[in-house]
Amino acid sequence: MELKTILFYLFAVIMVFAALRVVTARNPVHAVLFLVLAFFNAAGLWMLLQAEFLSIMLVMVYVGAVMVLFLFVVMMLDINIEQMRKGFWTHLPLGAGVGLLMVAEMAVVLSGRYFGLQNFPPQNLPANHSNTKELARVMFTDYVYPFELASVILLVAVIAAVMLTQRTRKDTKGMHPNDQIAVKRNDRLRIVRMVSEPPEVQAVDAKAEEKS
Amino acid sequence: MISLPHYLILGAILFSIGVVGIFLNRKNLIVLMMAIELMLLAVNLNFVAFSHYLNDLSGQLFVFFILVVAAAEAGIGLAILVVLFRNLSSIHVEDLDQLKG
Amino acid sequence: MLNNFVMPDLYPAAPEIFLLCMSFLVLFVDLIFGATHRGLAALLTVVTLLGCAAITIVTADGHTALTFSNMFVDDLLADFLKLVTYLAVIVVLVYSRQYLADRGLDRGEFYLLVLYATLGMMVMISAANFVTIYLGLELLSLSLYALVAIDRNASRATEAAMKYFVLGAMASGLLLYGMSMIYGATGSLEIGGVAQAMHHGQSDKTILVFGLVFLVAGVAFKLGLVPFHMWIPDVYHGAPTAVTLLIGSAPKLAAFAMTLRLLVYGLFGLADDWQKMLLLMAVLSIGLGNLAAIAQTNIKRMLAYSTISHMGFMILGLMSGVVGGVVDPFTAVNAYSSALYYTVAYVLMSLGAFGMVLLLSRAGYEAENLDDFRGLNQRSPWFAAVMLVIMFSMAGIPFFVGFFAKFAVLLAAIKAGYTVVAVVAVMFSLVGAFYYLRVVKLMYFDAPVDSAPITAPMDMRILLSINGVAVAAFGLFPDALMSLCTTTLLRSL
Repeated sequence: MELKTILFYLFAVIMVFAALRVVTARNPVHAVLFLVLAFFNAAGLWMLLQAEFLSIMLVMVYVGAVMVLFLFVVMMLDINIEQMRKGFWTHLPLGAGVGLLMVAEMAVVLSGRYFGLQNFPPQNLPANHSNTKELARVMFTDYVYPFELASVILLVAVIAAVMLTQRTRKDTKGMHPNDQIAVKRNDRLRIVRMVSEPPEVQAVDAKAEEKS
Repeated sequence: MISLPHYLILGAILFSIGVVGIFLNRKNLIVLMMAIELMLLAVNLNFVAFSHYLNDLSGQLFVFFILVVAAAEAGIGLAILVVLFRNLSSIHVEDLDQLKG
Repeated sequence: MLNNFVMPDLYPAAPEIFLLCMSFLVLFVDLIFGATHRGLAALLTVVTLLGCAAITIVTADGHTALTFSNMFVDDLLADFLKLVTYLAVIVVLVYSRQYLADRGLDRGEFYLLVLYATLGMMVMISAANFVTIYLGLELLSLSLYALVAIDRNASRATEAAMKYFVLGAMASGLLLYGMSMIYGATGSLEIGGVAQAMHHGQSDKTILVFGLVFLVAGVAFKLGLVPFHMWIPDVYHGAPTAVTLLIGSAPKLAAFAMTLRLLVYGLFGLADDWQKMLLLMAVLSIGLGNLAAIAQTNIKRMLAYSTISHMGFMILGLMSGVVGGVVDPFTAVNAYSSALYYTVAYVLMSLGAFGMVLLLSRAGYEAENLDDFRGLNQRSPWFAAVMLVIMFSMAGIPFFVGFFAKFAVLLAAIKAGYTVVAVVAVMFSLVGAFYYLRVVKLMYFDAPVDSAPITAPMDMRILLSINGVAVAAFGLFPDALMSLCTTTLLRSL
């Protein structure tokens, strides 16, 4: 067996195991971590397919940002694990059965001769081939319209996420630097003209307090 | 020799795990969203594999856009989840029973 | 290196570019004046949509133009659908202004998200590539998920948003899986390229059909066809009525365009296969939609089930274009234009129906139960008449626009040889007539439960009246709209 084959099976087995654990893990934090494992192995597989840019992006953007967001939310919310898993075991046999059947049917279709090595020979790009450069060339020419649309989608996500979760609580005590700088002397200081009072009164009061 | 069907069947397995995961974790919204991520990962694997064996870059570009959208989707989905949690103080689908009929 | 790259022609995409630029203006204006001038964002949004309409009319020359490396198509169908979309969104904004103001929801974000949802619909309508179809669909869906949850303190709305989100994301997954298989089998993401590859017969039929199953499931989810309809009643019921009005109207036009471009323009070679799938879903949708609507006491839920049955009718028209694998151009155009006509008529009626729900709502009160329509005739004879027209039209009673829409679709189905299906559809729509007429009975023969005066602003009253009159007028002159639909499709196919 050549190295690429060994690597494929290694990544594939770990990925399937991790994916199974994602949907069966008892603790949601573990589920997120298994999903990270699955993504890492997918990145390895994409490396084998010579999609280097996407593979790095999957690790950096997806694992680095999206999965961390998942982790934040999981840890922020107080989750009752027992209640959540009610009915999981009763449905598991049916779910597993349906899943296996699905995989079997899909495998029969997909393993047909059509996708075999005759029609789709493996591509071996030269070592100095830059996947990133090629992608960039197409992305900023032919795919400039989807690229702009993707940026609008991200803008929508920003607006929606801020709109949904930002809240100004009534009981928060905040400071506005703007107001602090703009303050005038007259806002803070009030000069009161008073008649000076004789000191004995206070002294008498203090004595009275001491006695009582 | 690893051929295209190897990758496609791996994608099919991953996709099925995602679908079954949605079915099994109907009560657990966080894991539900992770199962959806698994489905999208399967689709991406398909696209990258096709792109490699067809020697055509457009498949990889589609994956790029799917990743962007999936990130945005996760952002909005988690925001809705947080709002829901504030309202209901729980994230179990069992408690989602105000809408019936 | 880039010698084969041609700078894209931006002219056909002018409405989209204008809308995007204006949305930034709305964003800034809302940031600076949002707190002091509350109506400014709404006004600017309406101005933007009117501007888009003007640009679309000016740039429409009847030719089919492809730009952005064949990712964007601007044909007469796109122009027509975009114009109806702008109109529908403007109507939505006018109807929902007071409702939003009463509930403190008329913030700038609402208008921004509506604009981006509109942009998503426009992208879907003009999509000529799987990538742009997907991105347009997601732009629309993501904006709608957020809009459903816009009332953060209403637990019912956030619950609806979560259901919508989960099912919508799953549907996107199915759609993408289908697209990946079709890409693998044809080697192209372009709709034209897919059609060409299939025409030359170099791709494997099994793989194509395998992909098609997932693709059709994804599309059916977005359209809300049985058995992928679960989200429709919950979302329509749970969302704030202003958002329900938006979800129930303009996106149906974009969904029609998406279905047409994917299945007819792209996968016409598999027409025999998708015809069977759509036929089954159309019959189930018409049946279940009409039966389930009878049991509802909430009018938003009732209208949601009626949407399912209407979408079933639309799909019935769309699948009647091919007869036994043989394509007759005349039959095909007839069938597709009947589906287009049905969609436009449905959007008109659903705007009116949800508009009536908004009309009867007021600050602190949601008029969403059927009981709220009791004795409407005594409170406002004019608006009772408007509702009567809309309900009659939805039920398919002659001579309103809904009747001619159903008639055209059934005619197309019979021409395609689906006489039994047409008879079944008629039977179920007779069953459906019951719940529409129940609303009419409540309005005219029952005593009002709620006798508060109707407090809607004047612009909404006028527009709702025009909406009702339009439903009646298009019924009196059905040929005008029908010939417009036929011409549009003839010049775009």
